[in-house]
Amino acid sequence: MALFLQRLVDGLSEGSIYALLALGLVIIYRGTGHLNFAQGEMALFSTYAVYQFGEWGVPIGLAVLMGMAVGFVLGAGTEVVLVRPISRKSPFAVFIVTIGLFQFLNWLDGALWGGQQLPSSAMGSKQGKFPSLFPNNPTDYFNVFGAAIKWQSFWMLVLVLVIGGGLYVMFNYTKLGLAMRAVASNSESSKLVGIRTGTVLMVSWGIAAAVGALGGVVYAGLTTNVNQSLMFSVFIYAAAAATLGGFDSPGGAVVGGLAIGVIQNLVAGYADEWVGQQMKVGVAFLVILAVLLLRPAGLFGTSKVERV
Amino acid sequence: MSLPIHLRSGGLPSWAIRVGATLSVAGLLLWIPTHGSDSLIDTCTTATMLMAAAMSLNLLLGFTGQISLGHSAFFGIGVYTTAIGVTRWGWSPFVTLPVAFAVAFVVGVLVSLPALRIKGVYLALVTLALGLVFPAFVKWPKIEWLTNGSRGLDKTGFKFNKANPTYELFGWNPWGNLRGQNVKPFYFWVGVSIVALVYLVCRGIVKSRMGRSLVAIRDNSTAAAVMGVNLAVTKGIVFGLSAAMCALPGSLSAIRTGTVTPDSALLTVAGSITFLVIMVVGGSGSLWGPVLGAVVYQFIIERTSGWSDPNRIPGAVRPLFSWSDVAPGSGIFALTLILLMFFAPFGIVGLWHKAVATVVTVVPKPAGTASVVHQETAPPES
Amino acid sequence: MTLLSARGLTAGYGPLKVLEGIDLDVNEGEIVVMLGANGAGKTTTMRAISGVIARHGEITFGGHNIQKVGPDAIVRAGIVQVPQGRGTFPELSVEDNMRAGAYVRRDGSGAVQADIAKWFELFPRLAERRTQRAGSLSGGEQQMLAIARALMSRPRLLLCDEPSMGLAPLITQELFQIIERLNRDEGLSVLLVEQNANLAMHMASRVYLLETGRIVASGTAAEIGADDTIRKAYLGF
Repeated sequence: MALFLQRLVDGLSEGSIYALLALGLVIIYRGTGHLNFAQGEMALFSTYAVYQFGEWGVPIGLAVLMGMAVGFVLGAGTEVVLVRPISRKSPFAVFIVTIGLFQFLNWLDGALWGGQQLPSSAMGSKQGKFPSLFPNNPTDYFNVFGAAIKWQSFWMLVLVLVIGGGLYVMFNYTKLGLAMRAVASNSESSKLVGIRTGTVLMVSWGIAAAVGALGGVVYAGLTTNVNQSLMFSVFIYAAAAATLGGFDSPGGAVVGGLAIGVIQNLVAGYADEWVGQQMKVGVAFLVILAVLLLRPAGLFGTSKVERV
Repeated sequence: MSLPIHLRSGGLPSWAIRVGATLSVAGLLLWIPTHGSDSLIDTCTTATMLMAAAMSLNLLLGFTGQISLGHSAFFGIGVYTTAIGVTRWGWSPFVTLPVAFAVAFVVGVLVSLPALRIKGVYLALVTLALGLVFPAFVKWPKIEWLTNGSRGLDKTGFKFNKANPTYELFGWNPWGNLRGQNVKPFYFWVGVSIVALVYLVCRGIVKSRMGRSLVAIRDNSTAAAVMGVNLAVTKGIVFGLSAAMCALPGSLSAIRTGTVTPDSALLTVAGSITFLVIMVVGGSGSLWGPVLGAVVYQFIIERTSGWSDPNRIPGAVRPLFSWSDVAPGSGIFALTLILLMFFAPFGIVGLWHKAVATVVTVVPKPAGTASVVHQETAPPES
Repeated sequence: MTLLSARGLTAGYGPLKVLEGIDLDVNEGEIVVMLGANGAGKTTTMRAISGVIARHGEITFGGHNIQKVGPDAIVRAGIVQVPQGRGTFPELSVEDNMRAGAYVRRDGSGAVQADIAKWFELFPRLAERRTQRAGSLSGGEQQMLAIARALMSRPRLLLCDEPSMGLAPLITQELFQIIERLNRDEGLSVLLVEQNANLAMHMASRVYLLETGRIVASGTAAEIGADDTIRKAYLGF
């Protein structure tokens, strides 16, 4: 029982990171119908920025806020400069641009912070101690039913619930949220009721990247080291979460993220011999595949006519 | 003389251009292994591998509209089929090539089954996950007896007799000893052969009735189905062929380097992205696009690999890159990719056609079929 | 008094020019009907006035030049369009559709809520379905919702693009009665685009005939209806 609880909480806290990135994916998908393959790398860039602010002596809390601001500017800028002009051409062009951005940001992280440990393919890693947002010393835990729950896990879960709740309120009870839902539903009609769709999309991308930045920072604090491939697998877990929850459902992204985290930890824990740490990514793969084949709209999404 | 010059297809000048282009490509192919430096030959061999991989991806994307970010897995299947065959069962590396082709074909057909129901970027997502799974799978403890886990495998290439290097195929030496004691040209020739094979397969498919039905699928699935194109079978075969052809350069990679590890760049998602980038920069949907893309890619990577040391950056661009001690190759290429999407969505080949059209236009024969083929590769300089 | 005035209005999509210089006026309190066949440029005219496509020429509204302003400023100025095919937000609830219609207003949620209640009185069937997703409504209900949503911005000029499309004749009649009522009771000016000439003609103050991007005839409803050649050629009755 204690072991189960332990794995459950570990799964939930890992899942909260996937949930944050999945939220970003969903916000962008709802607004524009694009899957942002650069989401993970945007988060990583902001995470490196937080690291840099920390190096400059900024307290970690403030550094995280500044990092989210960097993420917001990066996301909003991407929408205005790259995605908006290119989306007139084709969805494929947008896909390629996000892939290009993925590679460019990954290289840029290495170029700015990577040092000479990187091979020329820029897919190496730099090990750097990353400041944690939450207490993560070995002694920072409390006991529940015999399971040692890290304070860090607890706070991560609180964080994702707060962010998720905040986004829920924003979507459903604010004018910006109403505009975002309207643009997602019918872009042309949004213009006709006087919504500046361009601004709304820009802000959506900004929020998505800022939330993703938070996910990146928290994850970096969890693993205590930042390297350039940090986000490859996290992106796939987040995408699996968004797929499971439904690409147009923010609530689904949170549930999906937590579910993926829990499933992974339970499967890896109880089927250690068969799955273990190595094949955890296989779980994400199977979830994506199964959901797309059996219920393409996900658990909470609404099925739409295919776009591509 | 006014531009553009009009040439009649099938006329003498148009044939002269074709023959000239063919001769210069052939000349280049002979020149590189016989007169080029070792590092040039190495670079070109790598380029041939990238060409074949990007062409296989191109067949899938350019002609069926399916996006794959998992071709690194098929490349990896080639790598590991050869490595396992050679080290565990003592096969000749040559034998492993068709085996790798067959294994990857089967896996490709299997992957194509769900891919039939998954469209566009979702397929990209699934295949991206596949690309991430492959290295993890190779490291899986359950199959460590075969793959040796994260330690990888050794001595996966030819066992050469140092004194008298011959590259025998069942006792027959088809390539001759083009460069004395040096083994590099041999790998180059294998690479070129693979590219030629992949090119011919792609060309064969594209020009065939199947190719036309492929384009029909890409443009409109429903219409293709109504017209009686058997979607499932056609897509399955193409996916299988694409995977199989991507495994061939993988095999060459294992043969050439002699060691394999699950985390080497081309086996991971980074490889998939590299193939995609090469294909798009060269020109997706065109036969020669990936060839040009690979040459340009490898050229840029080689040229800039030393730029981590600011003193080695040429003076003119030094201020642009000297701030970083990381080689800018992949960053430059990523930027190129993004810019091309804005200004030349059909890549270098698209730009080439546009540029050529302002100088020469080939007028199709009145009743015959149009053939506007400019088959020149930019010679790689070293 | 002239409310909306367009002189030499041209618009199109990319290289394709659809409108080739249109002169058009809507006076305060009028219902102006624009008739024309498919592809004549009726919808393009509407979209050009609303500013969602690039347009050239002189357009003034209430004496102000609105040629260079964006669609949001046009809604704020008091022109709102009910697009062809309803254009509701299918994933949003009926009430949220109405709220989205009030997006440009700055007078607080109390006033918006009061307006929602007011229009629910005019469209009681919408009130019954206030929490349903708009996509689940019938065609007629969606058209009502589209009009109610447009009214939420407190417009002075309502642009209606083929409201009768795909609706049963009885529902179309009901719809047109509501438009007439809004015109009479609220003083709302209306520019109505229709293919269904019979129905539209008898409530029109004035009529424009549009053909391949040009206005080929205009006048009061009586004048146009009285002209035999026009009637036979364009109206078909």
